[in-house]
Amino acid sequence: MNNSLLACTFTLAGLGLIAWPGARADVETFMDLRNIAAVQGDAAAGKANSATCAACHMQDGISVVPLFPNLAGQHAEYMYWRMREIQQEARADSPMTALLANLDDTQLRNFSAWYASLPPAQHAEPARGAASHASEGARIWSEGDATRGIPPCQGCHGRKAEGHPLAAEVIRWRLVPILRGQAAAYVTQRLNAYRDGAHTVTSSARMMNGAAANLDDASIEALAKWIETGESK
Amino acid sequence: MRRQSGHRLLLAPLGGLLLLAGSIAHADSGVGVDMWRGNVLDPRGGADSRPLDPHGTSWLSPLQRRSPSGNLYLCPAASPAQTELGDWLFSGSLDIGFVGVGGDEDNALWNRYADWEDGFILGLLQLEFLRPRDGSYASLRASRISDDDAYFDAMFGRAGSYKVHAFLRELPNALSDSVRSIWNGVGSNHLTLVDSLQVGASTSEQVGAASQAAIERQVSVNRSKQGLGFSMYLDPRWSAFADVSHEQRKGARPFGGAMFFNFPFPDNGGILETLRPVDDSTVNLNTGLRFAGSQWRFDFAYSASFYRDRYTRFDYEMPFALSPVIPGAVSAPLQRGQFATEPDNDHHNIKAAITRKLGNAGEFSLTASLGRMSQDDSLIAPIDCQGVFGIGLGGSLEPGPQNPFLFDCSQWNSSAALPRTRADMRIDTSLLDGRIVLHPLESLSVRAGVRFNREDYRGNWLAFNPLNGAYGYVSENGAQGSVVPGEVGFWYPGAGASNLTRIRNLPLDLQTTEANLGADWRISEGNSIGADLVFNRFEPGNREREQVDFRRISLNWTNRALDWLTLRARLSHLRQSGDRYNYDPYEFTFSSSLPGFVEPEGGVPAHTVDALRKFDLSSRDEDKFSLIATVALGDDMTLGASLNGMRNDYDATLGRQRYDTHGGTVQWDWQPNPRFMASAYYGRDFSTLELANVNDQALGPDPSLGGPTYPLDAVWSDRDRQRNAYAGASFKASLKRLTWDGSWTWINARGSNRYAFASPSALAYFNDSTSVPGNAFPDTHYRVNAITLGLRIPLGGRVSMRVFDTWARGRFEDWHYAGMEQTRVIEHRVYTDGGPRGYRNNLLGLLLQVRL
Repeated sequence: MNNSLLACTFTLAGLGLIAWPGARADVETFMDLRNIAAVQGDAAAGKANSATCAACHMQDGISVVPLFPNLAGQHAEYMYWRMREIQQEARADSPMTALLANLDDTQLRNFSAWYASLPPAQHAEPARGAASHASEGARIWSEGDATRGIPPCQGCHGRKAEGHPLAAEVIRWRLVPILRGQAAAYVTQRLNAYRDGAHTVTSSARMMNGAAANLDDASIEALAKWIETGESK
Repeated sequence: MRRQSGHRLLLAPLGGLLLLAGSIAHADSGVGVDMWRGNVLDPRGGADSRPLDPHGTSWLSPLQRRSPSGNLYLCPAASPAQTELGDWLFSGSLDIGFVGVGGDEDNALWNRYADWEDGFILGLLQLEFLRPRDGSYASLRASRISDDDAYFDAMFGRAGSYKVHAFLRELPNALSDSVRSIWNGVGSNHLTLVDSLQVGASTSEQVGAASQAAIERQVSVNRSKQGLGFSMYLDPRWSAFADVSHEQRKGARPFGGAMFFNFPFPDNGGILETLRPVDDSTVNLNTGLRFAGSQWRFDFAYSASFYRDRYTRFDYEMPFALSPVIPGAVSAPLQRGQFATEPDNDHHNIKAAITRKLGNAGEFSLTASLGRMSQDDSLIAPIDCQGVFGIGLGGSLEPGPQNPFLFDCSQWNSSAALPRTRADMRIDTSLLDGRIVLHPLESLSVRAGVRFNREDYRGNWLAFNPLNGAYGYVSENGAQGSVVPGEVGFWYPGAGASNLTRIRNLPLDLQTTEANLGADWRISEGNSIGADLVFNRFEPGNREREQVDFRRISLNWTNRALDWLTLRARLSHLRQSGDRYNYDPYEFTFSSSLPGFVEPEGGVPAHTVDALRKFDLSSRDEDKFSLIATVALGDDMTLGASLNGMRNDYDATLGRQRYDTHGGTVQWDWQPNPRFMASAYYGRDFSTLELANVNDQALGPDPSLGGPTYPLDAVWSDRDRQRNAYAGASFKASLKRLTWDGSWTWINARGSNRYAFASPSALAYFNDSTSVPGNAFPDTHYRVNAITLGLRIPLGGRVSMRVFDTWARGRFEDWHYAGMEQTRVIEHRVYTDGGPRGYRNNLLGLLLQVRL
């Protein structure tokens, strides 16, 4: 086979492609959060404008309605990017969509800074600790379930659901929320959403999609119960 | 990840194919080895055909990550687009196309581990099924370049539950493309001379003409392997596995054919390069049970292999006549030579290991294993002849007392001439290994271990012929004794009572004891040092030393104090010594140990010179160093460099005296984004091996260097130097819709061999000083240059085309094969393999990739 055939082939191939239309459209709405900067905001300004937030999340950031998350003491980075995600998703079935629709970036940062500065709710230590297998929720949290393809939650969320142990040093780990004491109803709703692929616009959500993909309803219920109370189902 | 519906009609037959594949698969290969199937076209099993994932390695961290040594991890391939099939997600692709080879397409080195032929190929078929609901999966990969170069790999299972894995693989291995055979029957165990030659009566010229007339051919040994593996979790902590594989090798390869050495006798003897058959199979079995708890781990395993050769022996016809060194005598006509093939053999090993976690990430482990290697193959007769062999005095080939150097074939050509008909030999092995790792401080890690290993040879072999009371084995198919009176290879009463020959097996028992102690200390953040002490004691049986100790101290330093630099340095010193060196521990294996042995006039010849030190048992000092620097040039670029060196000083007047190596590498890697990556490397390495020996000048009993047997003027030395340079570069770039890839590989290896000698007495065949050669052989030279350029062009949503071209050139110069183009037959020496040849080839391929 002579080399001129090779040259012709490459030339024709090259010409062919010049005429080929259309590059693949990438997902422009996707937010890659793996290299974020620390979120700074004016906590006082956030507090000053938090009346609407407080209606559900309360003034001290500790919600009394089980479907609404506690915000007090949560990482500012998590809250800021979660609000950006809600804005991006613009889901019609979420009450947060309308509430956040007209907030600018500074306001989001201020709210995040304010609630992050509040003292978190006081929680009792988990009754048997995360290392205990006393409950199904504790077992999944601690070890996952290899036979069902479920990773252990503690790998990112901390042994006692207190958040990633390196969050103070590495900014991206502040995207992992502190879950200890969140209401079971709220956790259940969020895990169901991740399992069903309802959130996909951030890198964090895509990771959680995989982590939650094989959780069944009973496992979600057990995990939510353990997160809320640290006790057996 | 995109999910699409449909394509059930297309997938139904593919699913059927998968099921069929599962049913026809036979076996698997072992634990931790041979688990990945690929070929020259697809060395990474399909990974190269996928674009890189623009999202990088993990959702948890940014795109570029570095290993602990400071190198960038490769960006992974993108997940394939998937189609929903009920509960299942399917992805698949099919690469089919054409390759054309131009140039020296039959060249053996070009075709080593590849079998390029013009025509259509299956580049790669990949099918993958996943069921997220329960983690079930099934996959298939297949590729076919030719009948002898193909693979098929399938698996199915459920994550965390079980896995079944099956494969088939055909792997070619061309050994030579320049074989000219004077025998028919290549590949069988019976080589017969071509029609133009007469057995035992051909001249050198006739054999040379037959060799020249033979069509040059390729010889190869191709492997065909099938495997089946199964593993499962019995519960979250207990798991079990079983793997079995079967490999067949088939072909032929250049081999020997001894019919007495020819160098000092131009018209006598026969040194023949035959072609031995390779037709064997090996079954490997690995099975085990594992427990992995939070504190304890247990590992119980059984492994075995069973080797079976189709042939017990192979034979070849001898083209030349033999003549005795005694005037007036005649040699018995010998027509055939023979070799035993490798014996059928079995290997069994059982192993138990237990590991206990200790506090502060410490660990203690204990391993014990027992093994047995055995063979009990049928033994072949000492000679393949009819009538007589040896020398007939006075021109008579009539056996009898008047002919003490003539022997009756019937007393040697059957298994009745052996003390037993089967080998009945085995080696038992045992191992005990204990290790402990402790972290007494957060910054300090301490490790220690002991290891005890034995190899015990079981079974004895005394080469006794019950038919005639002789001890030993017929040498060189009877040819030696048919040229030189009495040099038949066996001891016998009467005329052969002084024959010094090997009569029994040599058990090489070995006991090894090792103790080691080491520690790593993190002095500061990013700065750590370590040290290891190792003591080994070898106690070999029936060797020149009964005890050999080596002690090694090594120091290492790792520095990551600077974000952009990782430095690793290692320095070690080893001293090997032992007890008294006995130059001849083998006397009991020779006929001189027999009661009826008569010491020859002048005494029993020395086994070897007493100043010789065999390199594995010689006292020596070894120093080694390595220095590796990895420099991060920004987030996406790495520059690495390394230097290494080793010096070995042997305490030997004769034998290996020095073995030194040193080298260095530089490599560069750039991955600015998932759509572009480039790398380059360059390296040099050098080695020097020096040895010395002495040519014996007489068959005398004095073993001393400088004595009459081994005079100082017969000492010679040799210096072998190897200088290698290698370089390469590669890139992969996606520019708009096109993906370009390219690679370049360059190797330049040169070997030189210089020698010196005290006088022509040191040389075996040049004692005429006028014909003594210089002080060096011509250099050997090996150069390869290969460039590949490829382009992938999308032709639509599911179809793309890849065009690639590889140009390669290899050049080889090896003086061992000098003159082979003119003739392969020199006096009574017949060479079959013409040696490696250069090539200049171009491979053009066009593959259509269809996403299924």
